Amino acid sequence: MNEAPAFPLRVRSALGDERLHVALGRATEALRSRRSAAIGSLEGFDEVRDLARKIKMELLADLSTHLQRFEERLVANGVTVHWAETGADANRIVGEIAKSHAVRRIVKSKSMATEETHLNHALQREGMEVVETDLGEYIVQLAEDRPSHIILPIIHLTREDVGDVMHRRIGVPRTGDPQTLAAYARAKLREEFLGADMGITGANFGVVETGTICLVTNEGNGRMVTTLPRVHVAVMGIEKLVPTLADLDAFLKLLARSATGQKITTYTTLIRGPRRAGDECGPEAMHVVLLDNGRSRILSGENAEILGCIRCGACLNACPIYKSIGGHAYGDTYPGPIGAIVTPGLRGLHGWSDLPAASTLCGACRDVCPIRLDIPRMLLGLRRDTVREEGAPLSLRLGLKVFAWIAPRPALYRAATRMARALLRFRARDGWLRHAPGLASGWTRMRDLRAPAARTFQQLWKERKS
Amino acid sequence: MSARAAVLARLAAAQRTARLPTPAAAKPLVSTPRSVAECRERFARELAGLGVDCHAESSPEAVRARVSALIEGKKVLSWDPDQMPYGVGALLSGAARGSSPRAEQAQAEIGVTGCHGAIAETGSLAVLSGPGHSRSVSLLPPVHVAIVSPPDFCFTMGEFFAREAGRIGAAACCTFITGPSRTADIELTLTLGVHGPGKVVVVVGP
Repeated sequence: MNEAPAFPLRVRSALGDERLHVALGRATEALRSRRSAAIGSLEGFDEVRDLARKIKMELLADLSTHLQRFEERLVANGVTVHWAETGADANRIVGEIAKSHAVRRIVKSKSMATEETHLNHALQREGMEVVETDLGEYIVQLAEDRPSHIILPIIHLTREDVGDVMHRRIGVPRTGDPQTLAAYARAKLREEFLGADMGITGANFGVVETGTICLVTNEGNGRMVTTLPRVHVAVMGIEKLVPTLADLDAFLKLLARSATGQKITTYTTLIRGPRRAGDECGPEAMHVVLLDNGRSRILSGENAEILGCIRCGACLNACPIYKSIGGHAYGDTYPGPIGAIVTPGLRGLHGWSDLPAASTLCGACRDVCPIRLDIPRMLLGLRRDTVREEGAPLSLRLGLKVFAWIAPRPALYRAATRMARALLRFRARDGWLRHAPGLASGWTRMRDLRAPAARTFQQLWKERKS
Repeated sequence: MSARAAVLARLAAAQRTARLPTPAAAKPLVSTPRSVAECRERFARELAGLGVDCHAESSPEAVRARVSALIEGKKVLSWDPDQMPYGVGALLSGAARGSSPRAEQAQAEIGVTGCHGAIAETGSLAVLSGPGHSRSVSLLPPVHVAIVSPPDFCFTMGEFFAREAGRIGAAACCTFITGPSRTADIELTLTLGVHGPGKVVVVVGP
């Protein structure tokens, strides 16, 4: 159930935030142009997309077998495997792991799965110290904020905001210079890495054939977290598998290009269990928590395809709605077009049915999706489900009935549109309507509506022919 | 019922009703093997794009001279000398190693490693964990110097996976390093060295 303020309120406050618009516009535009340049750097990019889509859909069709095989390989590699039905279960399991290893200090690299389960708060309630180490997530944690983009958590903050947070929370001299701020964060977080007992990560991919956890980071915090502490816990959504290392190659070719416009992320780390005999570093114990938390329910229905998402964020940057309202308005962990499907899938449609409606269905998300997920189809399906479950408003039902009655009667239809046109033109000033009447009033709350033309196309056409 | 059994049972049921698209046949990735010369050329080009200094040296002596100049006067953390190519190990007698106390490793100003693969297509260095070649060396110091020899070259990551399956399987960790540590979290402004080395130098030997 959604406990955030109602969606229209969240949207209204986002739309009124001028600074947010500037920040979103700048960042999404930059990411879009970088992505375009990057896909040009790979010959046959679209063929790799086709391949990745095929691999993922075939894997999902038999996910249970792949998961068991993956578990076998993990165990053979010396990893302890845990299964979590819900987010709360995952949090409890991680807490128990920490206690069993007498852990007090924990460092985390960026993970959407643990964001989804609100793991940090659960561990803090147990008296453990948890520090996010991705720069953006670290700022989010210091500011007691929430991330607003899958790969750029603080896309909604300016450099001055960041300087302000670091000044207030860790006493950094006030500055808005990103290099200086990053240098302070480096020094502070380096101490955390060296002093931590346990590292928590997500998993970008799990490779079935070898029992490998694949992590990609640009900062190197993923490496720190899996190299220095004596325990490593990876929390992984059960859908994140790929069958083989050769398959992983295809997904890696797509992920960074779609996300940041890099050919590959700076660090791609493949972890196959705790340190081996003779290793001088690396965790002594490794645990993997396999998280369901609603994924099996998504798999059972017509949106099963969404489980192929690799969390690159490209659909966010392409989406006209995301660009207007930002990530927080979506109200949960996953924003943008992908969030509008994943959130109702994981949490249930009730309380989240506004999200699938927040789309123009323009299809830009599908065009950029590296896995070619048919996002508009799924959004439409969820809208249908919403109407089925919650019913349509009376005004819409009546309006559609009236329209259905008028539309097949040409003379009536023409008369009705003539009247509507006359009414709108009467109310317009200088060719624009500031306030449209009736059902259309929602449209003019945020923008003006152009008044209809004096003569219709059909009238003009007739005149031209005569 | 255990959580494992419950999840697997739910998945088995879900798979029966799941509506998944059936994509058409897709071509597997094929990479045509390239010559070492071609790999060298592409690798150097990619490194330049990443802001990595790349020095091609024509003899083992020249490699040693280059490394010697790079580490001159610096606190060094390195792979064990016997793991280093071109006799570079001889220059590293005073260096901290993976087996040194962590506090000592953390103070190093420069890390010196070999590598287990060099991916030309992306300018990536592949390093495997193992005795004598600790993960910390390419991670903790602010500068990372890596020495590449021609047999390390592969054109794609896929080739590396296929060729080195055995060695990769024997290591707990395989990392691909592509340029310096970077972030763009604050207003998309590129910042280097936020956690890992902010400077990477590659020396390619004969």
